[in-house]
Amino acid sequence: MWLWFSKLGSPKWFYELSGRWLPWLVAAMFAFLFVGVVWALLFVPQDYQQGLTNRIFYVHVPVASISLAFFPLMAIAGTITLVWKMKLADIVVKTAAPLGAWFTAFALASGSIWGIDTWGTWWIWDGRLTSLLFQFFLLIGVVSLRSALEDSDAAAKACALLSIVGCINVVVIKYSVDWWNTLHQPGTDFVLSSNKANGPDIWVPLVLMIGAVYLFFAVSMIMSTRNEILERERRSQWVEELVDNL
Amino acid sequence: MLNAIQFSSFSEFLNMGGYAFNVWSVYGLFTIFLGANLLVPMFKKKQILKDLKRRRVVNKNARPEINE
Repeated sequence: MWLWFSKLGSPKWFYELSGRWLPWLVAAMFAFLFVGVVWALLFVPQDYQQGLTNRIFYVHVPVASISLAFFPLMAIAGTITLVWKMKLADIVVKTAAPLGAWFTAFALASGSIWGIDTWGTWWIWDGRLTSLLFQFFLLIGVVSLRSALEDSDAAAKACALLSIVGCINVVVIKYSVDWWNTLHQPGTDFVLSSNKANGPDIWVPLVLMIGAVYLFFAVSMIMSTRNEILERERRSQWVEELVDNL
Repeated sequence: MLNAIQFSSFSEFLNMGGYAFNVWSVYGLFTIFLGANLLVPMFKKKQILKDLKRRRVVNKNARPEINE
């Protein structure tokens, strides 16, 4: 277990392992995306109130829900950075922040465009929308904090701390729809029986899209983590050998 | 579980029941969002490797003894 843990922290080991996994993850991502998008756009029946705007649900919900995973991920990696100074953990904190900002921005934008016709407004200072906008600014804050601090050790510590504190906002986002019930609808439980309003013909494509977006998240994170490893380890022997063999 | 295709013609599909702007702009943004976060790291990797390769060659020519 400890051997595995210390190996996982080794950039070289991660670089080699992720290089073997990446093609499979990319293939799975495109497969899930293709089936999910075709199903959502062509086959899902229209909603009795919102008509065909329910197509937006299948991209908005996966991206918005996975956007909540960024702060917990960065907080775990940040804690590992603070306690064990593992090289790889700080790289994860660094690469997750801008991707998280993209996720949050897309969740806000797609929600706004959906709201234009279904809510009659593209923006309202509702609990869910406001706390998600706050998450966007927090993530931009983590990105700029790192570029503002010259000393990379201090930057790693500061970003780790901000990531841990930022988790409080995730709890607010999650329960915002129950605490302040304004326009954004609360969470929904899905049912297995297909004669219910939200049966499998509604949620199976959603599950596919959630899988697709998770795979995209993994692929993009791994790609930028590998880039960061190459830059930070450029003086190490294994990177020099890798470059020589090009 | 799988329903029939909900559209009888391609133009009906494009029209999205009158919500063409909402649906297609969201799917368009989704494509940009995925594309940017996959292509940018891909090109960045090429750039980094090219840069490292160039430095390596320069270093080797400057100090030929490291080849031994």
